[in-house]
Amino acid sequence: MPPQETAAQSPTARRSRLATRLLPGGTEPDPRFTLANERTFLAWIRTALAFLAGGIALEAFTAGLLPEGARTTLAVLLLVAGSTIALGAATRWLSVERSLRHGSPLNLPLLAPLLGMACGAASTVLVVAVIAH
Amino acid sequence: VSSRSTTAGHDDPGLQPERTILSWTRTLAALVTVSLLFVRWYTREGVVTLVPAVVAVMTASAIHLTQRRRYRRTVDGIIFERVRDAAGPVLATAAICAVLGVAGMWVLVFGRAI
Repeated sequence: MPPQETAAQSPTARRSRLATRLLPGGTEPDPRFTLANERTFLAWIRTALAFLAGGIALEAFTAGLLPEGARTTLAVLLLVAGSTIALGAATRWLSVERSLRHGSPLNLPLLAPLLGMACGAASTVLVVAVIAH
Repeated sequence: VSSRSTTAGHDDPGLQPERTILSWTRTLAALVTVSLLFVRWYTREGVVTLVPAVVAVMTASAIHLTQRRRYRRTVDGIIFERVRDAAGPVLATAAICAVLGVAGMWVLVFGRAI
């Protein structure tokens, strides 16, 4: 923990009202951990955006390749997974930041199994659709 | 050789500010890609696809316009050993991505009708 007088000199370290309300108490964590948490969040967001892009691309580019029912099911699955991962990423960021501030252990990432299940479900629907087609 | 000589304004050999800024830049690029896919969807589903396309590209622009300030924040964080958490940008980006997914489903349901 850095001495308070050093921290006070930083011109951009003043916390926003939102941050104070969402993450009250604790001590200021090592900035490297906070930045690492931010980058992990962004990696999840890019994963979410990849799911969204997949869902849209399916509808936009594969018109004659898959039966309409299977295509729409897959697109909806990918879009739902994308939205859920995006919201989960924010929850995970809050949870990790809270743990950093209070020096408590990090929770298991529930997003990882969710990601696996979404990929598994999408692959199954695709395989069934291709075989049935 | 001191690490300070190879980095701009901070002496973090792990280049935390640069990695964080590049991470935001990759996210910006992903948002532009999603925006372009929504535009591509226009030929099938109609003008309704342009709303999420504009939202995505505006979010990407907002990230781009705040990159310099973000870099300053992260460099200060390394120098002063204390960085402000990015609660606002984090929650806003997540909410917009979730909304883009919902918008995609909305287009699937109502696209041809509008």
